[in-house]
Amino acid sequence: MNRNGRTIISLIGVLALAFAADVCAQKPSGSEVRIGVVVPVTGQAADVGKREAIGAQAAADVINARGGVGGVPIKLYFADEGTNPQEAIGAVRKVAGDDKVLAIVGPHYSGTAEATFPLGNRLKIVQVAVASSKPGVAKANRPYAFRNTLTEDKIGEAVVKAAKQRYGLKRVAIISDTKDAVARSLGMGVLPAALQVNGIEIITGKDPVTFQNGDAQFTAQVTRLKSLNPDGIALGALGPDALNIILEARKQGMTQPFFGTAPLMEGNLPERGGKAVNGTFAGSVWDSTLDDPASSAFKAAYAARAKTMYPGAFTQNPDYYATNAYDAVFMMVEAMLKTGVQNRADSLEADRDRIKDYFSKLRNFKGVASTGFNDDGDGVKNVIVTEARDGRWRPVASR
Amino acid sequence: MLAQQIVNGITLGSTYALIAIGYTLVLGVLNKLNIAHGELFMVGAFTGIAVARMGAPLAVSLLAAFVLAGLMAVVIERTCFYPLRNASFLSPMLSTIAFGILLQNLATQFFGSDPSRFPDTGASFQLSLGTLSVSAIHIAILATAFGLMIGIDLLVRRTRWGIALRATSDDPETAAQQGMHPSRVTMTTFFVSGALAGVAGMLTTLVYSQVTPHIGIRQGLIGMVAMVIGGLGNLRGAMIGGLAIGLVETMNDAYFSAGYRDLVIFSIFFAFLIFKPEGLFPAHRSS
Repeated sequence: MNRNGRTIISLIGVLALAFAADVCAQKPSGSEVRIGVVVPVTGQAADVGKREAIGAQAAADVINARGGVGGVPIKLYFADEGTNPQEAIGAVRKVAGDDKVLAIVGPHYSGTAEATFPLGNRLKIVQVAVASSKPGVAKANRPYAFRNTLTEDKIGEAVVKAAKQRYGLKRVAIISDTKDAVARSLGMGVLPAALQVNGIEIITGKDPVTFQNGDAQFTAQVTRLKSLNPDGIALGALGPDALNIILEARKQGMTQPFFGTAPLMEGNLPERGGKAVNGTFAGSVWDSTLDDPASSAFKAAYAARAKTMYPGAFTQNPDYYATNAYDAVFMMVEAMLKTGVQNRADSLEADRDRIKDYFSKLRNFKGVASTGFNDDGDGVKNVIVTEARDGRWRPVASR
Repeated sequence: MLAQQIVNGITLGSTYALIAIGYTLVLGVLNKLNIAHGELFMVGAFTGIAVARMGAPLAVSLLAAFVLAGLMAVVIERTCFYPLRNASFLSPMLSTIAFGILLQNLATQFFGSDPSRFPDTGASFQLSLGTLSVSAIHIAILATAFGLMIGIDLLVRRTRWGIALRATSDDPETAAQQGMHPSRVTMTTFFVSGALAGVAGMLTTLVYSQVTPHIGIRQGLIGMVAMVIGGLGNLRGAMIGGLAIGLVETMNDAYFSAGYRDLVIFSIFFAFLIFKPEGLFPAHRSS
């Protein structure tokens, strides 16, 4: 081979080596891998937000115990969403801008997500909302918005079907929030549609009985519900309001069953409501009585972390929101390893995009209660219908 | 159901009426506004909760709410009004705004910003009159509120304190010459006004599912609206105004939409301000 030939081969060899080295360098560099967690630890959703935070930290604990992300430990950067959009925007700005995280677990509510998702698109950072389930929110905010939740329409249909089976519902009245984004969409959209699909008459027609999220009393509304004499009442409400409505209903002598979807499951309704709320139906995508290996590992990690992080009665037991946060962290780590995130100061934007691209195609993730995202950016999961009984939510045996 | 909603409305309205009466008493005596009045409602609510949590019976909690809110009102008078009695018209009112915020923050420190509930009284008997259903709590509220309203009415018209009150508000100097201490009359009036608000707060916590440290803001505002609608300075007008607003709010929530609740109430308020600012029962400044 002549001198030119050898030069060319050497050049190709060097290039090949460099290329191989680059591909092999899938391990991130740096002293820590940063993920942001924006969930509410104050305000109305404080209890469930704390559980989400514990779930995320539990995931980080498990990952770090295995050696971190390619040998680099994970550190979570927390910022309080405060259960309101203004604070959430500030929190996202802080973790994305000041803390320079690679992706964000959070926010919590649809109401806050509707505010922070557009910001995430401008900042070009992935957010994985952990409780937002109002239909359409991620779809309207491609490509950086994701939600590791099942949209309410799927949960609604399953819950209504189960409630009809149990209670033989023929005529149902709806009471709906007019203030909170997801509760309103439940009362005005999701539940009416689910009732219609199941052939149940909606006594309140297009005008449900209404209230405002956080109202101190529901006397007038419950009196009206009572006068309609329904077989059951559909709740377009968040857990704390639902609790007050049901308690007032029992005070006024109503015995009918109530049902709603995922938002009913925060606010510790069975613990706080006692006998009055027994038989209330809700739906979710995970239940703490499940004992498959993934669930067991999650519960153990959660229990360990809950001893030192936000210890208390209402954070002791994980709920499915905590699994959404837990799985989200694992999804981010999987994305980082499989796409070769470099975790250098100058690769921040590229790394964030790598995660975004991975999530857009993630369809068969093996999580506790998550399998990935669909084309709209929403989570794909199974539905578990639950009922409040003796102080806890318990899965309803399907017939 | 309409009859039931009317009962609901009057129950709610009677708590608003107690607040409005309190505002009116102070307005009549000093011709000034205590903007922290709503916080006295809140003080009564939380006092009731705190005392009940210690295991006391309902009547004791009510008494505690009455006394503590009354005393707090006197504190407001001594700190916000008395030192500034010769200052401009605005200064005492601004002081009360600050005092109100202080009370809200104190309550948040002690009780947290999450809603607080009255411990379960266990009393749950229902009186049924045809389709009407009135619970023990409702009866307690109506009886207490109406009892207080009638009591105040009698006090102001028939007793020496009432005469002193009206005399002092009409003409402080002459009243003083006649041996009525304006300062003492003022403090007593404040005590009564605060005590009424405190009782309203405690009763409200019984019927409402929950209270927060910031509940005084809206309650105070509604009380002011009730006072204006009823007729500034007119005690009976304040009662009627409070009951009317309670009915409006209940009918709105039952038959219309909760989202429009405050819009409806304040539209009525503005309509009165524009077309009938003297209110339903125009007053002479005493009762």
